[in-house]
Amino acid sequence: MSELEDIQAIFFEEAEEGLATAEAGLSAMAEGDASPDVIAGVFRAVHSIKGGAGAFGHGGLQDFAHVFENLLDEVRAGRIAADDRVCRTMLAAFDVLSDHVAAARGLGPAPDDAAMLAALQQALGQGAPSAPAEPVADENGFTPVAIDLADLDNDPFAFEPVAVALDDLDAPASQTGAWQITFTPSPAALAHGGEPLLVIRELERLGAQLTAIDSVVPPLRDLDPEGAYLTYRLGAPAECDEAALRECFDFMPPDCSLTIAREEAPAPAVLAAPTLVVDNAQPPPDAAPAAPPPAAASDGGVPQLIRVDVGKLDMLLNLVGELVIRNSILFDRLSPTDQQRVELPELARLTREIQDNVMSLRAQPVRQAFSRVPRIVRELCADTGKEVDLEMIGETTEVDKGVIEKIGEPLTHMIRNAVDHGIEPPAQREAAGKPRRGTLQLSAEQKGARIFLRVRDDGRGIDRARVRAKAIEKGIIPADAMLSDEEIDNLICAPGFSTAETISNISGRGVGMDVVRSNVEALGGRVEIASVPGEGTTFTMVLPLTLAILDGMIVRLSGQRYVLPLASVIETVRPEPDQVRAVSTEGEVIELRGDYVPVRRASELFGFPHQRGACEETVVIIVETEAGRVGLLVDTIEDRREVVIKSLDQNLHPIRGLGGATILGDGSIALILDIDALLAAGGAQKFALKGLAA
Amino acid sequence: MTTRILAVDDSPSMRMLLRASLAKQGFAVEDAEDGVHGLERMHEVAPDLLITDINMPRMDGFELIEAVRAEPRFRGTPILVLSTEFSDEKKARARNAGATGWITKPFDPDKLGAAIRRVYP
Repeated sequence: MSELEDIQAIFFEEAEEGLATAEAGLSAMAEGDASPDVIAGVFRAVHSIKGGAGAFGHGGLQDFAHVFENLLDEVRAGRIAADDRVCRTMLAAFDVLSDHVAAARGLGPAPDDAAMLAALQQALGQGAPSAPAEPVADENGFTPVAIDLADLDNDPFAFEPVAVALDDLDAPASQTGAWQITFTPSPAALAHGGEPLLVIRELERLGAQLTAIDSVVPPLRDLDPEGAYLTYRLGAPAECDEAALRECFDFMPPDCSLTIAREEAPAPAVLAAPTLVVDNAQPPPDAAPAAPPPAAASDGGVPQLIRVDVGKLDMLLNLVGELVIRNSILFDRLSPTDQQRVELPELARLTREIQDNVMSLRAQPVRQAFSRVPRIVRELCADTGKEVDLEMIGETTEVDKGVIEKIGEPLTHMIRNAVDHGIEPPAQREAAGKPRRGTLQLSAEQKGARIFLRVRDDGRGIDRARVRAKAIEKGIIPADAMLSDEEIDNLICAPGFSTAETISNISGRGVGMDVVRSNVEALGGRVEIASVPGEGTTFTMVLPLTLAILDGMIVRLSGQRYVLPLASVIETVRPEPDQVRAVSTEGEVIELRGDYVPVRRASELFGFPHQRGACEETVVIIVETEAGRVGLLVDTIEDRREVVIKSLDQNLHPIRGLGGATILGDGSIALILDIDALLAAGGAQKFALKGLAA
Repeated sequence: MTTRILAVDDSPSMRMLLRASLAKQGFAVEDAEDGVHGLERMHEVAPDLLITDINMPRMDGFELIEAVRAEPRFRGTPILVLSTEFSDEKKARARNAGATGWITKPFDPDKLGAAIRRVYP
């Protein structure tokens, strides 16, 4: 990649970040939060995209961003109110802007933005920026004329050939309209780093010559060392471009006196250019109401950032993983007396700290994954005619970058599913006594080492009769299957249950829920569905916070060692002989300070031979699951330590209840248990059993 | 002596672009990512010339220029504003704050060089 391409790649990253910021801000504005900070944030984002687009030659993007920015600027200045209509226009403009960015990246065709540009212009027109105030004559009776360079350039007559008598060609240039420049810098021009000498040098490069310097230097006692007492007179050839001459004075403040005029030429000069009295084109200061200063960043604590290649982080993460493993191997091989030596705990502590730090480097707020959602919802609403309010909660929850990158697609599908299948059309909702607008809630929440991403709608809920009929038709379940509501809901995720063609074509643009589930499970997560007819459906993706390291409890079951995620362990109990009781033929409970907690035998869950009732040598680990607390009966607890998660081979993935594997200190391999999946209601256990038995 | 320039812009790509194009013209370029950082760098680098963006988080270009001008040692340091903004009102504000000149983004590297030479020999 060339240097420019490198820089451009960074610009695209910035543009994506800018889009996310802009979208979040615009959404907040649409919800009524038009605080100066929010507006300034959106403005800055669009503004930066425009700047970069120009630098890298993405004209379409630049032009569009420019018009969009104009509207934002008016809103920022309070000249246009951020009312509902304007917000809608800006959100729609944002979508076109996103498409422009995608096109610039070569990820799609350039959008047809003509209609959107017209809408933006219309929104701008409605604010009718006050007409520039009439130029006011100053005390010398001199009226400044504001001149727009662009107008001069576009003026079709500006360079019209001038009819000149042949004789005049022999005349010296100075007599056919040569330029005369008179320039008196103000004290302000000399302050602030202005340097007339450099301006004169620049004029000389254009062919101008200094002809005179008028001095009004006062006697020494009256001399202000920072005053300005000189007037420079220059002559420039007639063929000099006026604009180029004026450009040399671009940086001189408006209180300088500057005249650039054609020398009064005798008769033949037709179309003599008007005398320009250039006031550096400054309109009177009251031409436009002063905009409030851009919200000065109040967040004084913004950290300084550095960009790091993700590959390097991954490498570091891997190395730290190996370090952790070596550390525990070393520890295991030392005698107990050596283990007590102070250096070792210190080394272990340091290793853990490094590990935590490396993990946090990869953590990013889920906002990134959420940022596309508002647009998806808007588009779905437009396509389906439904009305949906989107609420997003917990966007700052941080998750490993690897997880964030992989949840986009499943999330999109869950959102589509909710809007398309869940939320009813407005009329239907009203008929059912519900608010006309549906609510879609997207939330992220961290619990222990897991993150819960929920998509909750207040729609019609899953039509269980229909799902069941469909599943029977597809041969997924036998016609006489006895299924719980939960099991029916879960059929949506069964392979081969395509909702796409059966219910509508919108969700079909994504992937089937079975693919969602397998994607999520591949990440060591799971999908949960909870639905109440008439009230709505909640899809929950439960994902590990990180794909790399786990704080685990090592337990022994039927002679095998397993790792339980410590985050889900509440307490461990060595039960009294009669503390665990059978309550029916189905299950057992443990009495715990007056409460009864269901007990599952891990050996049973895995289909190992077991001896029910032989509780003397066992330990009950109370774990928190989605379904509440459950006691897990294991043989012994061996250790507690951080383990490095190694993913299971592809063909072991379908086994629910396993979260991965790890290498223990002695070099042996232990499987990591996914407690929730292992203990979750009915179906999950059956899958796990079948999986392992196969 | 090589002219030393401090370029302040919150966009990393813009900073890189400035570095690359100014280095090609023989300038020594340092950069900073916002006004606060820019002011710190002014003290560390004491550049011959400051180029700053306007819209930046934490401390914007106007504030930076005012802060720089408030220090006697930087009173004569040329300050160029490099911004996509081009309204006269903004330019006047920058000038009142103490800016020497204004260049509109996207910039043409040659024109930027010429503008620099207009304020620093």
